[in-house]
Amino acid sequence: MDLDIKYKVGGTFRIATILMVLIGIIAIVMGFMSGETDRTWANLLLNNFYFLSLAIGATFWMTMSAITQAGWSTAYLRIPQAMSMWLVISFVLWFFMFFGIHDLYHWTHPDAVAHDPILMHKSGYLNVPFFTIRFVIFFALWILLTFLLRNMSIKQDTAAEGENVRLFEKFEFTSKITIFVLAFSFSLFAIDWLMSLDPHWYSTIYAFKKFVSAFLHGTAIITAIAVLLHMNGYLPMLTKSHKADFSRYIFALSIIWGYMWLSQYLLIWYANIPEETIYYVPRIMSDYKEFFYAELILNWLIPFLFLMWNRVGKTNWGLLTITAVLIIGQWVELYMSIMPGTVDSHSISYIEIGSFIGYFGLFALVIATVLSKANLIPKHHPYLMESLHDDH
Amino acid sequence: MRTNIIGIYEDDEVLLKAVDKLQENGVKVADVMSPFPIHGIFERLNLTTRMPLATFLYGAFGTISVFAFLYWTSVVSYPLKFGGKPLNTLSFIIIMFVLTIFVGTFFTFMTYFIREKMYPGKEVELPVPETTNDKFVIVVNKTEEMTNADINNINKLMKESGAIEIIESDVNYNS
Repeated sequence: MDLDIKYKVGGTFRIATILMVLIGIIAIVMGFMSGETDRTWANLLLNNFYFLSLAIGATFWMTMSAITQAGWSTAYLRIPQAMSMWLVISFVLWFFMFFGIHDLYHWTHPDAVAHDPILMHKSGYLNVPFFTIRFVIFFALWILLTFLLRNMSIKQDTAAEGENVRLFEKFEFTSKITIFVLAFSFSLFAIDWLMSLDPHWYSTIYAFKKFVSAFLHGTAIITAIAVLLHMNGYLPMLTKSHKADFSRYIFALSIIWGYMWLSQYLLIWYANIPEETIYYVPRIMSDYKEFFYAELILNWLIPFLFLMWNRVGKTNWGLLTITAVLIIGQWVELYMSIMPGTVDSHSISYIEIGSFIGYFGLFALVIATVLSKANLIPKHHPYLMESLHDDH
Repeated sequence: MRTNIIGIYEDDEVLLKAVDKLQENGVKVADVMSPFPIHGIFERLNLTTRMPLATFLYGAFGTISVFAFLYWTSVVSYPLKFGGKPLNTLSFIIIMFVLTIFVGTFFTFMTYFIREKMYPGKEVELPVPETTNDKFVIVVNKTEEMTNADINNINKLMKESGAIEIIESDVNYNS
């Protein structure tokens, strides 16, 4: 098999994604012009967090396969590496969010904090300067580590025999550091930007659930990209057993996601303490009800029931359908996390759909461009042969 | 009496190649025995199993019957309100979850034991007892229609593909 596979971004694809970005920009500008400032900021937060967590989840997937020395995933390592490069774009996009924090976060208003003993108590941690410092440190760490990992992997392509094994060991060591940094910093990041939307409420499992969600949906996107590339003639090594591996990954993670969802909900329901149940009251007893059940059905029930059937996970259409369901599922999950705490009346209209299309287009364009920059498979990775001949 | 031609191998990789070679030459491989699971052997032998379906059905049976039991005890037979919770409650979920796993696993094991006719204290019925230690075995059923030439051919193919020993055994091994 020829190991030099170069991906080329198609002209139609480029035009389509640029059009999607334009739709997004128009939707966001119209959102601000029409006076729905809160809602537009909330949507920007949703989309920023959505695609950031995909990049984080993909990085976690890549580091996970490095530290477990997984062989089968080697041929697909360039996909999470490309997705992790989104972090740079994400950093720029998040910066705009600082113009909107007064619209989104109750605790950023000094006069509100002064009359609120709970916020006063939390102000040592939840204050704008420290919030900004944490934001910059987290992004600096993520970008540094993902760049290091990608550079090592690209250097490996031209490395001599022996040198590539040394780089592989270095990659594994850096992965160990990255996994700790990601788990810790992304949890705090989720608390900062999502949980503090309801600053009186707290849940100790919230951050971990967001982390599992990032891992699940990042894996789903990696799978979707791998299958799409395969269908377009790239990545000929994507055999049935690889598809089964991808589907098992999604299957297991969606069960963990469901477990986390239940762990948070059941304990709050059981204990029935007003400070905690206040979070779920608007989410179940108002017009958010449909979204509340949709979140569980899309992220857990559908992947669980369909991927249990082994045959579905071994086909292209099966994997693409499940990943499409999960793409909507993550959106619903973040909608449920963000909207009840930020907007007075919610509805899904051009702002929601347009901004998501815009971000989606930009994400697709960035990933495709980064993928075209390097060889599509890490051709001197020591485990590549194991991955290519994984025919059982 | 049915007998089997049995090729003994010392390595799993050699055995996989031998299975391929026998099948290419039109020999039906009845079974393979190995001290550990070998990747890819299941697909090579074109085996099918209904075990996952059975496990799914047991699991579904477990979920439904445990729910029925919980519903009967805490809603129908002895309704007792506590903590202001409804009688038919979410707290069933954990018990249902755990017992679904238990029922699914337990009945799957039982099915396996019954299908394999295994019970405590059963005598080992293996054509080559070393397959539990360090030997790998290919079993080919010797049928009535086989001529001497066919049998010699099978012996030759096994020898060529690296069998260290070829024996004939009349252990009534039905695949």
